[in-house]
Amino acid sequence: MDRRDAVKSVAFLLGGALSATTIGVFLEGCNPSGNKDNSKLFSPDQEKVITEIADIIIPTTSSPGAKAAGVGPFISMMLKECYPEEAQKAFVKGLDDLEASSKKEFSKSFLELDVKQRQQLLGKLRDETIAAQKTESDKTEAERKAKENTVVQKPEKEQAGKPMAAKEKKQGTPYFFAIARDLTLLGYFTSEIGATQACAYLDIPGHYDGNVPLKPGQKIWAT
Amino acid sequence: MSNLNTKATAQNTYDAIVVGSGISGGWAAKELTEKGLKVLLLERGRNIEHIKDYTTAMKKPWEFEHRGRLTEEQKKTHPVQIRDYPYQEFNESFWVNDLDCPYTEVKRFDWYRGFHVGGKSLMWGRQSYRLSDLNFEDNLKDGHGVDWPIRYKDLAPWYDYVERFAGISGSNENWPALPDGQFLPPMEMNCVEKEVKKRIESKWNKSRIMTIGRTANLTVEHKGRGKCQYRNLCSRGCPFGAYFSTQSSTLPAAVATGNLTLRPYSLVNQILYDKETQKAKGVLVIDSETNEHIEYFAKIVFVNGSTLGSTFLLLNSTSAEFPDGLGNGSGQLGHNLMDHHFRCGASGRAEGFDDKYTYGRRANGIYIPRYQNMGGDKRDYVRGFGYQGGAGRGNWHKEIAEMAFGSEFKDLMTTPGEWSMGLGGFGESLPYFENRVYIDKTKKDKWGQPVLAIDCEFKENEQKMRVDMMNDAAEMLEAAGIKDVHTYDNGSSPGMAIHEMGTARMGHDPKTSVLNKWNQMHEVKNVFVTDGSCMTSAACQNPSLTYMALTARACDYAVSELKKNNI
Repeated sequence: MDRRDAVKSVAFLLGGALSATTIGVFLEGCNPSGNKDNSKLFSPDQEKVITEIADIIIPTTSSPGAKAAGVGPFISMMLKECYPEEAQKAFVKGLDDLEASSKKEFSKSFLELDVKQRQQLLGKLRDETIAAQKTESDKTEAERKAKENTVVQKPEKEQAGKPMAAKEKKQGTPYFFAIARDLTLLGYFTSEIGATQACAYLDIPGHYDGNVPLKPGQKIWAT
Repeated sequence: MSNLNTKATAQNTYDAIVVGSGISGGWAAKELTEKGLKVLLLERGRNIEHIKDYTTAMKKPWEFEHRGRLTEEQKKTHPVQIRDYPYQEFNESFWVNDLDCPYTEVKRFDWYRGFHVGGKSLMWGRQSYRLSDLNFEDNLKDGHGVDWPIRYKDLAPWYDYVERFAGISGSNENWPALPDGQFLPPMEMNCVEKEVKKRIESKWNKSRIMTIGRTANLTVEHKGRGKCQYRNLCSRGCPFGAYFSTQSSTLPAAVATGNLTLRPYSLVNQILYDKETQKAKGVLVIDSETNEHIEYFAKIVFVNGSTLGSTFLLLNSTSAEFPDGLGNGSGQLGHNLMDHHFRCGASGRAEGFDDKYTYGRRANGIYIPRYQNMGGDKRDYVRGFGYQGGAGRGNWHKEIAEMAFGSEFKDLMTTPGEWSMGLGGFGESLPYFENRVYIDKTKKDKWGQPVLAIDCEFKENEQKMRVDMMNDAAEMLEAAGIKDVHTYDNGSSPGMAIHEMGTARMGHDPKTSVLNKWNQMHEVKNVFVTDGSCMTSAACQNPSLTYMALTARACDYAVSELKKNNI
């Protein structure tokens, strides 16, 4: 039983799939982006790339994928309206880097790649993101421990009440791949296609039954 | 000129003024109008009309532009409201713009507010529990705070009364620390919860029990209101009127009497004291749209502006007779601030129910009432805690590799996966004199008023309790056969439970309390305070039902005193 599982339990409440960065961005105050004008964050080609990335993350299976659900434009809009400037910059840079590595690996633009090649590039990017996040969280943990040791030496009065204070939410570095994946999941599973075709959606259930047989092929309820 | 003034005064005179239209203010308006009084109900914010103004209630997930998330713009104007989950795009307009109404945090205090007709009755959690004599006697027994001036028998008929009207669904359990009530049929536990209940009650031989949450959601049609449709979208306002709110319940009743005048955009800045009569003569209102100042007059004033809202108003109502705030001869006004501490407990995985699923979204969970420091159970702290929780079936997210993507991932995300069961504690905090609010004149709000400073923290008793809140939860879940149980403590800052209370407490003695046993100010007999500020201790139960019962009881007393010309 690990108290630090707490963070995971928060993630679980939000559906389990969102990264701590995203939870932090959504729930915490951020430096305002100051990006109130109508200028676009992304070029038309970049917007196409975002759409294709989303469709690799949630492809068409027995139900339509992210592209059909309009997730690409949703991601662009969310980045512009709901993310601080730092995350926006990281995202734009991520797109540039992806294009560069596409050219390096395959001598083609990302938009010219086939699905397998796109999966390969994103898989590599995913592994790099996980590694970078781990390095960062190890560093944060070390800092937290160092800070705890300092706190212990403070006079008792200054500490009163502190151990119980609500834990600050993680405000980690924004990572391109993590944001793209989080927004794809959010945008897809709350879209009409995602909610009603990939999941099962009940607008007005009308009653509750806490013990129904699971039907074959039953999809998870959309909320 | 004097004729004009007399006429204006007459036009602005009512039998009673109710300050605030939330849970307790709505009750005061209903009770007083039904007893024949002409009532002016003052609300600082805008009007929200039942059903018509629940603009997001019928929206589907994909009809929210940001799918529930907040824009950078909203985060900028709501730096306090964004600290926790309640403030989202789904009911964004129900929460205050923090920049309009700043306050000073001597220590962190999360102050969640909604300025509109209905107040937090629109967004509340709806869990509705009675206090018991265990709670009413705790202060006297362990010496924290002052003795409650009432006991359960004083309030029991009023709990009956408000439950019958509000419509509370639940199950009678014959449990001494959580008295039974006048319940509508209970909601159903799901298959995992039923098993956990059976095993906990058997293991502890019914010295611990688990019941379905008692909630102000209707399980059957009730007094012209529709029953719960199991959408679990309550906090947007219910178009079926299926949960108790001012709009669905008390306001229509008050309007039906023909005795109610509702005035939105009416921020009450001061209660006006008349030294000749030694009573309040009325209130000074700031029109929150125009900033115009207007006086209203009445024989009695009910203060229901939320715990800290009411306390600010009383502290701000100074006069030569009451330089430190109206009725504050005791010096207790603003002190003894309490809130519940929570965000700690345990959860794990339930096995053996893979062939079962649920239908419908139940806006309710289970409840384990307090069992600590009662009967033979003794702990190394005083008071105790209850648990809210529940079981549900999620997807296979635990089987999913970190940051996975692709078609297999999509299948795992959309296939019913494992069942989990969790318990989260809600703990009582003690009434510490030094946990207090006071007026800070160095800042001003949008309407030119000084602001409140809040200096509150949880202490050792609460910290000790949290260890048990985690470990007892884990112990019960393990006893119930739940696997991979893990405990958590996310920390809890005062204000987060939105159960702030205690800053104008009831008591026997005018020297140590602000209100008497009828919620009447000891020192100003025609002023009654019946929101959370009146609470002498916090207990660990969700408090709103108690505010309703205290309000109805105080209204009954106030009108009988008025008729006897005693006030």
